[in-house]
Amino acid sequence: MTSLINRTRGLGLLGLALAGLLTLGGATGQAADPFVAGSRSSRALSAPPDVLARARDHGVALARALGLPVASAKATRVADVFDHRTYDEVTAVDAHGMDVALSRFDLDGSVAMALALGWHANAGRGLDGPAAAARAAAVARAAGLDPAGAARARESAGAGGWSVSWARVVDSVAVRGDGLRVALWPDGTFHALTRTERALAAPPDARLQPSAARAAAVAVVAGRLGSAAADLVAAGPDLAWIAPNDALGGPRLDAPGETLRLAWIVRFDAHGALADRLRAVEVWIDAGDGRLLGGDVAE
Amino acid sequence: MSRARFWRSLVPLFAAVVLMTVGAATAMAAGPYNASVDVNRSGFNPPCDGDVNYTVPKMQTAAKAAFTRGGYLASDFTGTAFTRAATLKRTPNDWGYYVHSHGDYYLNPDGSRYTGFREDSGDCTQAVIFSKDIAAKRLGRESNLVLISACHSADPNTTLPGAFAIEKTKSIGNANQGAEFYVGFIGVRWDSDEWTFEQRFWNSLAAGKSVGASFDVAMLGAWNDPAFDANWWGTYSWSGNAGPWGLCKACS
Repeated sequence: MTSLINRTRGLGLLGLALAGLLTLGGATGQAADPFVAGSRSSRALSAPPDVLARARDHGVALARALGLPVASAKATRVADVFDHRTYDEVTAVDAHGMDVALSRFDLDGSVAMALALGWHANAGRGLDGPAAAARAAAVARAAGLDPAGAARARESAGAGGWSVSWARVVDSVAVRGDGLRVALWPDGTFHALTRTERALAAPPDARLQPSAARAAAVAVVAGRLGSAAADLVAAGPDLAWIAPNDALGGPRLDAPGETLRLAWIVRFDAHGALADRLRAVEVWIDAGDGRLLGGDVAE
Repeated sequence: MSRARFWRSLVPLFAAVVLMTVGAATAMAAGPYNASVDVNRSGFNPPCDGDVNYTVPKMQTAAKAAFTRGGYLASDFTGTAFTRAATLKRTPNDWGYYVHSHGDYYLNPDGSRYTGFREDSGDCTQAVIFSKDIAAKRLGRESNLVLISACHSADPNTTLPGAFAIEKTKSIGNANQGAEFYVGFIGVRWDSDEWTFEQRFWNSLAAGKSVGASFDVAMLGAWNDPAFDANWWGTYSWSGNAGPWGLCKACS
């Protein structure tokens, strides 16, 4: 498994990590409430002042390492039952008292997220893809992270310029949604970064054959769409780690599952009349026992 | 004091009372700040599909709750209550708007293309609601918060922000273009990613962050599709709350 934490560089992360580990047990338990759609998913937790002070100092150091003009900061411990994560959130302000950065640290002190608040006009000469990837790697290292593997750089309006990502891969299988992502403004200055590394279930002892997974997925869409399923063209299956959901029925899960499972992914693209209301469907079949783990819909 | 002089002395007082009453009535006429939540469930639920898709109802519940938290008078509509006619009838009075449906850059009978989305109508033949239709009803009336949870709603050529009188410009720093913010998705997007984005956006607003910061936080979700993308136009530092300009509660 690829670890994203650079053990050798940056910001005194090790000491902070050790301090964070001391508080790990109790706070994790406080985040166990299930999420219900319509409610807030995050809430502030109490934490010892010295723990919050360390997080605050960590946030200031991180923001400065990323080139942000930080004068002071405040820290809050937050539990988020949608993301199944408890973290210390640090809001940094500049000399004028304006919020300039937001950062989150897992309870082991590792960087979970950093964000430069505000939006930049498209000033300066834009980078090309390879330059953006190189710049994003430098940003990640400045934050104490160690991007490993191939970077994928793409232009992104939501990122404000470039989105550069390093996908998490376990035993040659992609972990959907996990990895490191860095957002840069067009000129390469830092906008945001996020690091996600969720828990994985034990891989199945025996893996379901792809043909069986595909047949199970075809049965799912045929059962749902009846004769309209004839307008779907299947592709796959491909293996991936996914967070189970209730998109195609099953037990109610208002948030994606906390523990990811190994699944065969079968994608169906719609054609003809069906495409007027539905573009594609994915069916996720457990790679061990063949049960439905969830799926997705593009409308 | 003569009786006539007494009554004349009360004229300024009466005038003040009348002015205050008219002012209050005007203020009441400006409110409440309605928000409509339109959700197309039929597209991938009964009767068009044999099973229930739980993702879409979650989006509906979360959007209505978020608008309510923001001070809007929020109402939600789906099935036969979410039709082209009903949406266009309501839209002139909406300050907030959310829709989840099938969206695209559709060809209008007038020969031009406009961004739009499909009604629900409770069946599987769903008419398109074009941005042009909304613009014709709203006639330039300003909006507060608009989230279009539909494919292509924030593509570079989208015509929907203008229909809600939201300029396709990003106001940052000390600049602001008023209490308005439009959010949409770029290209074809999966429901699960839209749900993750929206939940994070609404939750961040509820925590008192500005609409722009909430967008930034929402963009940092764990996506099933690594190419997930969204965009916004409006005023970054606005609170998202109903009504005239207001800074976010958690901002310095």
